[in-house]
Amino acid sequence: MSAVAAPDSPSPAWAPQPTIEVRAVSKWFGQKVAVSDLTCAFGAGVTGLLGPNGAGKTTLLRMLVGLLSPSDGAVAVLGRDPRRNPAVYRSLAMVPEEDAVYGFQTARQFVRYAATLSGVGTGAVQHAIAAVALEDAADRPISGFSKGMRQRAKVAAALVLDTPVLVLDEPLNGTDPVQRAHLIAAFRRLGAEGRTVVVSSHILAEVERMADRVLAMVDGKLAAAGDVAAIRRAMTDIPFRVRLETDDPHRLAAALVGSAAVTSVAVQGRGLTVETADPAGLGRAVAPLARSLGLRLSLFEPEDLSLESVFRYLVRGR
Amino acid sequence: MRAFAALVATTLRQQLGGRRLLLLLALGLIPAGVLAVLLAQERTAAGAVRAFHQAPLPILFFVVLPVASLVLGAGALGDERRDGTLSFILLRPLPRTMLAAAKLLGAWLAALSVAAIGAAAAGLLLGARFHEWGALGPLLLAVALSSLAYTSVFLTLGYLTARAVLLGLVYVFVWESGMTSAIPSLASVSLMRIGLSAYGRGGIEDLLGVVRPGAGGALAKVAVVAAAAVAAVALLLRRRDVT
Repeated sequence: MSAVAAPDSPSPAWAPQPTIEVRAVSKWFGQKVAVSDLTCAFGAGVTGLLGPNGAGKTTLLRMLVGLLSPSDGAVAVLGRDPRRNPAVYRSLAMVPEEDAVYGFQTARQFVRYAATLSGVGTGAVQHAIAAVALEDAADRPISGFSKGMRQRAKVAAALVLDTPVLVLDEPLNGTDPVQRAHLIAAFRRLGAEGRTVVVSSHILAEVERMADRVLAMVDGKLAAAGDVAAIRRAMTDIPFRVRLETDDPHRLAAALVGSAAVTSVAVQGRGLTVETADPAGLGRAVAPLARSLGLRLSLFEPEDLSLESVFRYLVRGR
Repeated sequence: MRAFAALVATTLRQQLGGRRLLLLLALGLIPAGVLAVLLAQERTAAGAVRAFHQAPLPILFFVVLPVASLVLGAGALGDERRDGTLSFILLRPLPRTMLAAAKLLGAWLAALSVAAIGAAAAGLLLGARFHEWGALGPLLLAVALSSLAYTSVFLTLGYLTARAVLLGLVYVFVWESGMTSAIPSLASVSLMRIGLSAYGRGGIEDLLGVVRPGAGGALAKVAVVAAAAVAAVALLLRRRDVT
């Protein structure tokens, strides 16, 4: 039986058939509120937890795995509170953000140690090391590893447990582009196998490449949930951004300020960025306006509907 | 059982790695060094034992044992917390009592290895020069019990605070060496004296104060201290946030 009740109405923050459930969870440290009244759930596939530094991502993840207790609310992993049931760690693995490695061990010893402590066979150690492309360095002490190699050793120590639930806190920190692509492919593969994979990051492009679903956190609160396009659609009040370039951006900006289609204008170098709720209307209006001012319009380009644009809006709006 | 053994072995390796081991071994050999100097002027076995009780034994029990137990006991969980590896061991399907017991055993074996080498060196000196072998066994037993008692307390302290070494030194030199020596009634709650009572040989009454010599009593008291420490650390591991 689930220890945490699902919300009454369907919510994009609540995954169907969840393996991790978070209900009305808050966490505060003294006067500082790190997570505030957050309800969400995670199910099969890769879920990206996105937010700037200090958004509360790490605090939330540490509550998910039982390293922190919620000040209020409840967390359940596979129906159990991890703080009361260490046995849940047979099904749950985490890659913490901090350098949780033993420098005096080799990567192979470290992964084997993780397997031994978790009561799983050590037969999968080599496979886990290969999954993060660390074979060449597997028998070197971790103390001599770069940040990216340490990250991969930590990921291998989580993969060796072969758990249905994986929580990864900024697992790509310090990795180079090749390593990053390798790890992203590995996470996607795990999600495709039906495992619950929760990955936090403050780098938007990473989350876009990894996650089927995104939860965006700002100031300890859930700012948005869903896939990237769904978040965008749900936030109908987000102005579209259009990049314009002209030979006199200040004059064009001044003329655009009074236009009904324009929400805001910012001049940047030879161009200007216009925010509008009606991009088609702006398109119809801007060319005649430029002509009437005697200006040459060299660029009219809607900015990409990337997660980054959504995220910037979310962060700015708070 | 494999997990328990792996935890103990890793704790030992963690605590006895690098320069720390060399420094602690040098500290551990100080009593034997002092004894070697004192024995140069002794001609009889009784005089040699008296000389051993006069300075090397107090140095071993008042300085070497508590300092080694403090550094290694407080580090067993304190280092894990400082280095961020505490989450690594907590995210395992292991009972917290087992985790606490394994960390205590690992820290105790580390402290014991340092102190026992020093004690054995002193005992061997007595035996080799004066055929006085009777002190070695009781001495090693007392060292084992004292280091277990100290390590139990310092393991808990090391998890509670990042200033465990400082607080531990205050405890050792103000409480154990100072107050329990100055106020006779407090001697019965002195970890050092409880452990030393297992030595059981005459001539150390001044060091023991009101504590009666005897291995059985020492063993029982130290077992209670160790069990209490395991229970306390297990409770802390269950309840405390790992930030």
